[in-house]
Amino acid sequence: MNAVHGRYLHIDLSSGTARAYPLSEDVFARLIGGTGLASYLLYRFCPPGADPLGPENPLVFASSPFIGTGITTASKIAVAAKSPQTGMIGDSLSSSYLALALKRTSYDALVITGQAPGWTVLAVDDGEIRLLPGSDLLGLDPAATAGAVRAELGSGFRVAAIGVAGERGVRYASISNDGRLAGRTGTGAVMGSKRLKALAVRGTQRLPAVADPRGVVRAARELAARSLGPGTAKYRELGTAANLAFFSRLGVLPTRNFQAGTFEAAEAISGERLFLEHRTDKHGCAACTIGCEHHYRTRDAGEAVEVRLEYESLFALGSLCGVSDPNAVLRAAALCDRYGMDAISTGSTIAWAMECVERGVRLPGRPEEWPRFGDAEGLLRTIEAIGERRGLGDLLAEGSRRAAEITGQGSEAWAMHVKGLELPGYDPRKLKAMALGFAVSTRGACHNRSSAYEVDFSDQLDPQAEALAWARAAASSEDRAAVLDSLTVCKFLRHCFSDFFAEAADLFERVTGLPMSADELRLAGERINTVKKLFNIRQGWTRGDDTLPSRLLSGEAGGLTAAELDRLIQAYYRVRGWDEQGQVPPERLRDLGLADLLADGRMMREYA
Amino acid sequence: MSTGTATVRVELFGVPQLLTGRRQVEVPGRTLREVAGALAREFPALAGSVVDPATGWINGGYLFVVDGRFTRDPSCPVGPESSVLLVSAQAGGAS
Ligand code: SF4
Repeated sequence: MNAVHGRYLHIDLSSGTARAYPLSEDVFARLIGGTGLASYLLYRFCPPGADPLGPENPLVFASSPFIGTGITTASKIAVAAKSPQTGMIGDSLSSSYLALALKRTSYDALVITGQAPGWTVLAVDDGEIRLLPGSDLLGLDPAATAGAVRAELGSGFRVAAIGVAGERGVRYASISNDGRLAGRTGTGAVMGSKRLKALAVRGTQRLPAVADPRGVVRAARELAARSLGPGTAKYRELGTAANLAFFSRLGVLPTRNFQAGTFEAAEAISGERLFLEHRTDKHGCAACTIGCEHHYRTRDAGEAVEVRLEYESLFALGSLCGVSDPNAVLRAAALCDRYGMDAISTGSTIAWAMECVERGVRLPGRPEEWPRFGDAEGLLRTIEAIGERRGLGDLLAEGSRRAAEITGQGSEAWAMHVKGLELPGYDPRKLKAMALGFAVSTRGACHNRSSAYEVDFSDQLDPQAEALAWARAAASSEDRAAVLDSLTVCKFLRHCFSDFFAEAADLFERVTGLPMSADELRLAGERINTVKKLFNIRQGWTRGDDTLPSRLLSGEAGGLTAAELDRLIQAYYRVRGWDEQGQVPPERLRDLGLADLLADGRMMREYA
Repeated sequence: MSTGTATVRVELFGVPQLLTGRRQVEVPGRTLREVAGALAREFPALAGSVVDPATGWINGGYLFVVDGRFTRDPSCPVGPESSVLLVSAQAGGAS
């Protein structure tokens, strides 16, 4: 096959050794690459019951056949590890030149296991590895770390780095590269647990040829042209921050820790207002023609801060915490980037603490330092405390689920997570498809692994449609997301296809030379989601993990009830061909072509 | 504003709001198609990027929310009591 190298590099930080292994064509034909490849390698390397912050948890970086082909937005690297937040699959995508550098090393993926004896920078230089001392980088933010590493190793290296949060094991620490983040599920904490401050990659090898160079160039040009059409207009013009005011108007804007769906001060932090009063300019990720990354600057008396801001950071650090000062929200987002922490989990865990204070629950630290809803200073102070794991911040660094378990006093009732991952900015009480998507997602509450909100925000389904129709819509949205993540094509490109599966299959065929139909590609999406599910099952997933926080299931104001959610989940399991307990029957694995690929679950390390 | 047709209040979000400088406008219309046409006529800044002048209908990147229901049905009836929002069609994140 074309466009891949057919091998990956396993690096053991404990021994400081590396070894190459083959990757069969079958893996790409069935799981595509990107997230599919990363999930597969994670499944093969991570033993059941592995401590997410222990040496045996593999940290996987995977590329895809599309990287380096000129297809717009397709320069994303897939990152996977067992998540220290959920204990299940933690997978993220990050746009960056690192993806291109990795592909030029002549490997399709890196699997990093073990733990370095001291803080380390791992340099992968065309397949040669070097472990360099990293302790002098401790305390630096990710951007400064990347700058220091490149200054030492040369600008040809591309760097993924963690900030102080990753060093100190904040469970939702992120990995940063080129200013973009592998943000959710705490892969930065996994990297920190390996004492890996930075990964630097330089690739100078030729990119593997595509099967149909002219066809790929033609298709890439067409897609680039379409990427500038109406399908991406909102992202280009205003960015995702435009969601906020509209969501509040619809009553689906999570506010004060999901105690309300409308924020009375939404206008003050709306995307429209930010655009008029704070926006400075717009950037794009590596190899992207769309450019949705809007930057904003504070306009208050304090030291000016400029930061990239998306809707998810805006809601989590704004309405969710009841904060209506746009300057404070921008400062909070910049702090999250500086410490290297996922803004959704940061904001949501702080919102949990704010509700604790509101309800008179005792927290560690001095009461005058506890954050309160609407308290902008308290928000900023608490983010710093989390990043440094200081005082109350040490508790909140555990994430809302663990913080609530430790605190008790009934506070579990307002820890707003699914499987340990805090909810993004969609109040699922009024969004039925998204509610189901959150509940069953292998990653925990996530709007990126399931974009089922698209069904809610459209006229595709009658609100009274039967459970099976919602389940089909949710499953198909997951499968499309899995294909996009595995092709490493940006989700913001999805509306630029008139028939996504048919056009993407055609492109895959032109790139790889492997025959692929629309139906086969759709099946590949289901297969990838099944690998993730199998990983979770092996790590201890049970039926009870597929649920939503009880606050969201009261049925108040026409919202969802627990019984309704249960019906939706059962319908979803039926659509997937799983049993009533959500287990995957062996015949389903055979039908999906996974039984042989995953063998009997033996660990890859046994072959080493 | 034309007479003889009921006036519909339309709340604008995102780009339509920025282009008109208004969060809410009132235009005549009995269906969404008539509302879209009236929006383009009365707020020329919307013609082109939001309402296609050739069809008189909203571009693919936009949709209406009428009384809480999302729709791109031009024949959807509206009246003075309707809650009508004009919004961008895409939501969501990238990674
Ligand atoms: S559309 Fe936005 S998130 Fe997607 S690749 Fe381009 S700049 Fe990055």
